[in-house]
Amino acid sequence: MKILIVEDEKALGESIAEYLSKQDYHCDMAFTFHDAIDKIEYSDYDCILLDITLPDGDGLKILEQLKEDKKTDGVLILSAKNSLDDKIKGLELGADDYLSKPFHLSELNARIAAIIRRKNFDGNSIVKFGNLCIDTQKKSVTVEQKEIELTKKEFELLLYFVSNKKRLISKDAIAEHLWGNEMGGNFDFIYTHIKNLRKKLTDAGAADYIQSVYGMGYKFTGQ
Amino acid sequence: MKLIAKYNRVNIPITIGILLISSIAYYFILHYVLLRQVDKDLRIEQQEIIHHLSESGTLPETSNYKDQQIAFEPTNDTKFEEKLSTEWVYNKNEDEEEPFRRIDFMVTQNGQNYIATVKKSEQETEDIVRLILMITFSVIAVLLFILFVSNRFLLGKLWKPFNHTLSQLKQFNLSSKNNITLEPTNVDEFIELNNTAISLTQKVKNDYDSLKSFTGNASHEIQTPLAIIKNKIELLLQSEHLEESHINIIKSLNNAASRLSRLNQSLLLLTKIENRQFSNNEKINFSSVLKNCLENFQEPAELKNIQIEKNIKENVIVEMNDSLADILISNIVINAIKHNYPGGNISVMLNENAFVVDNTGDEPKRETTELFERFKKESASPESLGLGLSIVKTICDTYGFGISYNFQGGKHCITIFLKNIF
Repeated sequence: MKILIVEDEKALGESIAEYLSKQDYHCDMAFTFHDAIDKIEYSDYDCILLDITLPDGDGLKILEQLKEDKKTDGVLILSAKNSLDDKIKGLELGADDYLSKPFHLSELNARIAAIIRRKNFDGNSIVKFGNLCIDTQKKSVTVEQKEIELTKKEFELLLYFVSNKKRLISKDAIAEHLWGNEMGGNFDFIYTHIKNLRKKLTDAGAADYIQSVYGMGYKFTGQ
Repeated sequence: MKLIAKYNRVNIPITIGILLISSIAYYFILHYVLLRQVDKDLRIEQQEIIHHLSESGTLPETSNYKDQQIAFEPTNDTKFEEKLSTEWVYNKNEDEEEPFRRIDFMVTQNGQNYIATVKKSEQETEDIVRLILMITFSVIAVLLFILFVSNRFLLGKLWKPFNHTLSQLKQFNLSSKNNITLEPTNVDEFIELNNTAISLTQKVKNDYDSLKSFTGNASHEIQTPLAIIKNKIELLLQSEHLEESHINIIKSLNNAASRLSRLNQSLLLLTKIENRQFSNNEKINFSSVLKNCLENFQEPAELKNIQIEKNIKENVIVEMNDSLADILISNIVINAIKHNYPGGNISVMLNENAFVVDNTGDEPKRETTELFERFKKESASPESLGLGLSIVKTICDTYGFGISYNFQGGKHCITIFLKNIF
C-alpha cells in the first residue's frame, strides 16, 4: 500500500510516516506543493494525505490536478482550519474525507483504512483478525460463522481497534472517535464500554484481544 | 431630571420675577407720568382763572362737572401757599371712593382774598393705568403660554438628532457587522456629538476586530504545534520498552495536550460563531437532529444508568446552520449526562416553541446565569473546560433564541425558546 503525505510541517509529516510505516504502508513525503504535483504525476497512491495550506500553492489545486489526470487515488484532507467551506469544497473536488488538526494518529489510520477499503471495493469489505470476521458493508461481526450482536458504537469501536491493531490507543482517542470532540475528558464511559465489548467477544468464543495498558489506553493484539 | 425641566426650574421663576418687578415699576412710572399730566392740566386751569381775573376783574363762574370742579372760598389768610394734593371723594353713582387731584391757590378780587380750588378726577388716569397693566399682564401670560407650548414642540424637534444618536448608541452591538447610522443635523453641538460617536464606535470596533482576529489567528497557529505534540506522544506510546514511570509522565503530557487542544478548539469555535462564519442557514429538522444526538449518547447514558424521558414533537423545523444545531444540542445533552449522578434521569422536551432539557444533579454553587460566562464552571475537574454553556449561549444569541437556566427541586432545567425574538 502506497501513501503520499503532503505536509509542510516536517515534524508532523514524519510522525505520520513513522506511525503508518509500522502498519505496512509505504510512505512518500512531499513538503511543498510542487513536490506533491511531481509525485502524483509519476506514481499512483492508494491514499494521499493532503494538507491544503501549503506555502507555495493551494492544496485544493492538487485535487483538481488529480481529477484532470483522471486518477483515482484516495484523498484525505488534513487542515488546521477546520473550516466548513474548505471541507465542502474539498469533498466536492473529489476528496474522500476531511480531518482537522490536531488529530490522533490512530484516528488518521482508521480513516485511511476506511478510504482504502472503499477504493478497493471488489467484494473485499471483509476485515479479518484472528477468528474475528468483520463485514464493514453489512456492519456485522462473526466468530466462526456465528454472528455477534453489537451496538453501533461497539461495532465502531471494534473496527477502530482492528484498524489500529497492535497499537496502543489512548482513551481520549477512543472517546473522540466514538463521540466527537464534545465528549472529551470524560473516560468513565470507555471503561464500561470496553468491558461490554470484551465480554461479548469472549462469550462468542473469540480470544481476549483487548489488552489494557497502564491505564493509559488499550491495545488490540493477538498475543 | 430632564434637561428641559432643569432649565425651566431656573428659567420660569426668573422670568416671572423679572416680569413682576418690571410690572410694578411700570405701574409707578405710568402713574407718575399721568399724574404729572393731570397736574399740568390743573396749572393751565389755574392760569386761565388768573388770566380771567386780570382781564375782567371778576372771578370766573364756579363749575361742578363730574370730572372738573372749580370753587372759590373767601379767606382771611394772607399767606396761603398754593398746594397740589390728592383726595378721595365718595361717588354716589358708582358707590366707591374716587381719587381727585386738586390744586388750591389764592386769588384776590377787590381786596378780598379767595382760595380757589380746581379739582380734576383721577379716575380716568387710574382706568388707563389699570387697562395698560391688564394688557401687559395678558401679553405676559400669552407669551409664557406660547413659550411653554413651543418649547415642548420645538425642543422635541431640536433634540431629535440627539435622541436618534442615543438610541443608535444603545443598539450598538460590537459583534454585528453594521456601523451606527446617524441622522444628519446642522446643529454644531450635535454634529460634534455624532462625529465623536462615529469615531468612538469605529475605534472600539476596530480594536475589537483586531483582538478577535488575533484570537482566531493565535488559535489557528497553535493547532499545528499541538498536532505535532499529540502525535509525538502517540508515537512515544508505541515504543516497546517503556517503564511504568515513563508511561505516567506520558499520560500527564497527553492529558495536558488534549485539554489544551480541546480548549483551543472551543475558543476557535466561539470566535467563528461570533464572526458569523457559520452563515449558511437552512431549514433544519431539529427533531431528527435531536434524536440522532440522543442515540449517539445513549450508551454513555445507559452506562451511568440514567433514564432519558423523551417528549419530542416530530418535524420541528428551525432555520439555522446544521453544524451549529448539532453543537447546540449535543452540548446540552452531554452536560445533562456528565453533570448527572448515576441512576439519575433526564427529560427532553421539544416543540415548535421551546427545547427543554432537565436533569437531576447537584445543586449549583453559583448563580445559574453565571454559568453562561466563559470559564465559569461548576465542577473543579480539570476535564471540564467551562466553555460548553457559553458556546450554547453564543449560538442562541446568534439566532436570537432566548435561553434560561434554572435549578429547582433538585433539577437543572435549560430552556431554549426557538421562536426567535428578532
